[in-house]
Amino acid sequence: MTDISLSGPAAAGKTLPPAQASAMRLPTQWLGVAPFIIFALMFLILPTLYLILGAFQNVDGAFTLENIVELAQPTIRAAYWISIKVSVASSLLGAFIGLAIAIAIVRGGLPNWTRSATLTFSGVASQFAGVPLAFAFLATLGRLGLVTVLLRSVGVDLYQYGFNVLSFWGLTLTYLYFQIPLMVVIITPAIDGIRKEWGEAAATLGATQWQYWRMVVIPVIWPSFLGTVILLFANSFGAIATAYALTGSSLNIVPIVLYAQIRGDVLHNANLGYAIAFGMIFITGLANIFYIWFRTRSERWLK
Amino acid sequence: MADPFLSIQHVKKAFGPTTVVEDFNLDIERGEFVSFLGPSGCGKTTVLRMVAGFEEPTAGSIIVGGKDVTRLKPNQRNVGMVFQAYALFPNLTVAQNVAFGLKVAGVAKAESDRRVAEMLELIKLPQMGDRYPYQLSGGQQQRVALARALAPKPKLLLLDEPLSALDAKVRVSLRDEIRAIQKELGITTIFVTHDQEEALSISDRIAVMYGGKAEQVGAPFEIYNRPATKFVANFVGTLNVLEGVVSDAGSGRVRINAEEIGLKGKLNGSKTGDTLSLALRPEAIALGPRPGHDATLSGEIADVHFLGSVIRVRVGIGGSKISLDTFNNSSTPPPNVGDKAEISFSSGDVLVLH
Amino acid sequence: MKSGKFWAWVTFILGAAYFFIPLIATMEFSMRMKRGEYSFEAYRVVLGDPRFQESFTFSVVAAVFTIILGVLLVVPTAYWIRLRLPQLRPVVEFVTLLPLVIPAIVIVFGYIRMYGSNSPLPFLSSDMGTNALLVIGYATLALPYMYRAVDTGLRTIDVRTLTEAAQILGAGWTTIISRVILPNVLIAVLSGAFLTFAIVIGEFTIASLLNRPAFGPYLQNIGANRAYEPAALAIIAFVITWGCMSVIQVLSRFAPKSANRPN
Ligand SMILES: Nc1ncnc2c1ncn2[C@@H]1O[C@H](COP(=O)(O)OP(=O)(O)OP(=O)(O)O)[C@@H](O)[C@H]1O
Ligand SMILES: [Mg+2]
Repeated sequence: MTDISLSGPAAAGKTLPPAQASAMRLPTQWLGVAPFIIFALMFLILPTLYLILGAFQNVDGAFTLENIVELAQPTIRAAYWISIKVSVASSLLGAFIGLAIAIAIVRGGLPNWTRSATLTFSGVASQFAGVPLAFAFLATLGRLGLVTVLLRSVGVDLYQYGFNVLSFWGLTLTYLYFQIPLMVVIITPAIDGIRKEWGEAAATLGATQWQYWRMVVIPVIWPSFLGTVILLFANSFGAIATAYALTGSSLNIVPIVLYAQIRGDVLHNANLGYAIAFGMIFITGLANIFYIWFRTRSERWLK
Repeated sequence: MADPFLSIQHVKKAFGPTTVVEDFNLDIERGEFVSFLGPSGCGKTTVLRMVAGFEEPTAGSIIVGGKDVTRLKPNQRNVGMVFQAYALFPNLTVAQNVAFGLKVAGVAKAESDRRVAEMLELIKLPQMGDRYPYQLSGGQQQRVALARALAPKPKLLLLDEPLSALDAKVRVSLRDEIRAIQKELGITTIFVTHDQEEALSISDRIAVMYGGKAEQVGAPFEIYNRPATKFVANFVGTLNVLEGVVSDAGSGRVRINAEEIGLKGKLNGSKTGDTLSLALRPEAIALGPRPGHDATLSGEIADVHFLGSVIRVRVGIGGSKISLDTFNNSSTPPPNVGDKAEISFSSGDVLVLH
Repeated sequence: MKSGKFWAWVTFILGAAYFFIPLIATMEFSMRMKRGEYSFEAYRVVLGDPRFQESFTFSVVAAVFTIILGVLLVVPTAYWIRLRLPQLRPVVEFVTLLPLVIPAIVIVFGYIRMYGSNSPLPFLSSDMGTNALLVIGYATLALPYMYRAVDTGLRTIDVRTLTEAAQILGAGWTTIISRVILPNVLIAVLSGAFLTFAIVIGEFTIASLLNRPAFGPYLQNIGANRAYEPAALAIIAFVITWGCMSVIQVLSRFAPKSANRPN
């Protein structure tokens, strides 16, 4: 892009009508996106970098790895561990269940209304998160929730069996309420993209249904599927409102630990807070890098 | 046809209350190339899909090589199919696409590679094995689809408007190529199209379909020159249709407007006073007299279209307009609109439609 | 075929059960406030609570400002990228997707540290500044959705041809954007706006960490202290989300169809 910048200063003085403006490159061209770039730098990239840098500094601003090492202390490690477990469980379960629902409505031969109803509802439910979702699950599976009460009346006491909505499984089950619909919303177009003729071509070539799925359908939807799993993972990994409203601080997932740290420096070490934030970005970032690597490696057939 | 290879017998198909194919019958010999020709929605695809096994006939049976396959699943029928939209698997290379049928049949790798190379040679794309479908042009993709269909040596090749998505030039060259490959392999083929020129140029026989039935089955020459029904006559080629009234059944005189022509031996049983539809191809009509033409009608030039080597003239006769073609001849100027004109033709070329 | 359809029904019905039971349970719970009878008492209490009204109004205003900021930020950028800087497209798309990767809590943590009262840009030293930062944070959260909605809208209308046509007729840039581009992507912008509204209205993390009297923190507070009102609030929140999504659905029917594709 060096040649572009050369022509810039020469033309910059004149005022040109828009049609001719394309002749002059760098300054005016880039002015069009300047507000966006400045906004992104100031309110997205720099704040994040600030924390990342802070994670590698001590109180005096000198470089250190101490904060990162500190992440290994039992409470923080446990927090990461439970966060990862909830995110992996809710993203994988959400992905597979969402995929099954999408396949059912697109390819299952169900009446048309099931498709539009599912997609409409999924659009809503995928955005129905945060505090109200916690309330809904407390009203359903809490100690006085409708399902708990009904089951108890037929002799099944969920809480006796060790279930608790304020637990790993409780949180996972709750997160699925937005994870599954999100998968449905994103993956349905990918399933629509599978042409009916592919299956017919495969059948005339002698393939069984399973062979067709193994050799064509799964490879074709795999990239979108994996991409969505990563998105679901990040989606639950950073979520705090639902967990906070559901469990208070009885289930220490990472965002809740970080929240407490921001509010009151409970760790008595500001830079350790940065390190926790860095750890969160690191994990979601890693998941995305893995996805990008996978895509460039294996998807030569994608345009 | 004592022993047809493919026999479609009394096949009927209804989707719910609507019958889209009724009593379709067709026998096809081994190695024959048969086209289904007809307007959109007449049931061509539906018949083809029943042969492939994607639709189950409501009634009737389909017999291939002496075996009733009516209830067999598509993947047990060993037919090759080519679709309008290519339908190549996007995640597989050209070679992998062609090898697909061999792979699912468990053919050994070496044998499969050999066969793939042979197929790519056949479709004249030997260098393209490693490309992905999106890297090919439409015509190339369709050739790969053909190779993929042929690789497992199917008993039947079914093509559903394989050329409709391609541009005019590729369409012509590929159709000739398909025909050449079909002849080389001697494979029994059904080719669905709504393009009459396509059907006329490459088929052994054509089944002209209308409203879920085969109106006429015959060689291209026969279909064009001796259409059995009014629909076939109208659908295949350009046709002039005139209304005439039988003025004397015994001598074969038919009145058109104020003039009479003789159609002895063509009236098959029409009585005096019956109204007939008479059809004439434009190329059978001359402006003015011509040796051998025994019938004339007079009218007025309605319009003149200069088409290069040919001039298409339309002559108003009574209420209808008759198209005819004259060769462009630099010494004779074309007729003027509004001139009186006389047309002539041979009564032997008149088709009486029923 | 037959068994496939059977399993499709099973999947669909199980899915429907999972999604409807919590709604029914919440509804039922929200009506249990009066002993021994179903009533809408909890809704009456909630809707009559002045703190509800205040925090809800606050969040609605914040959402409106977020939408305005988002539109001002995204529409010119997406348009310009399509028209003049397609080479920048991957970068901008990457940036717009970042908020899906960087958790909101991390972003707001960064704000708190970067824009504190003794920083060069002390957003947090005044109430207005903090409110502005809240709106900015919300715009960041909504960025991926807003950008994608607008970009899809622009893709279907062939921006370049429209712009050139307008230029031939002598229109200047302001006219082009406000009279040609915006009306054509209005549907897309509105979809993005309602989605933004749905995301922002009950947002908890940023509002709470910036100490704003918004609806999200209010919800959380009620949840910690009351029994039946939270269920009523959950139903109200669901209805709001549903309303936003329905508007988007209805809007999509009026969206211009792609000019490039047949059918
Ligand atoms: N699955 C189906 N359900 C209901 N009606 C159908 C179905 N498939 C085809 N039809 C109807 O059957 C009729 C014949 O369709 P078919 O696809 O065989 O026509 P075609 O001759 O191939 O037409 P075209 O040239 O447009 O491809 C049409 O009226 C069509 O609407
Ligand atoms: Mg068809």
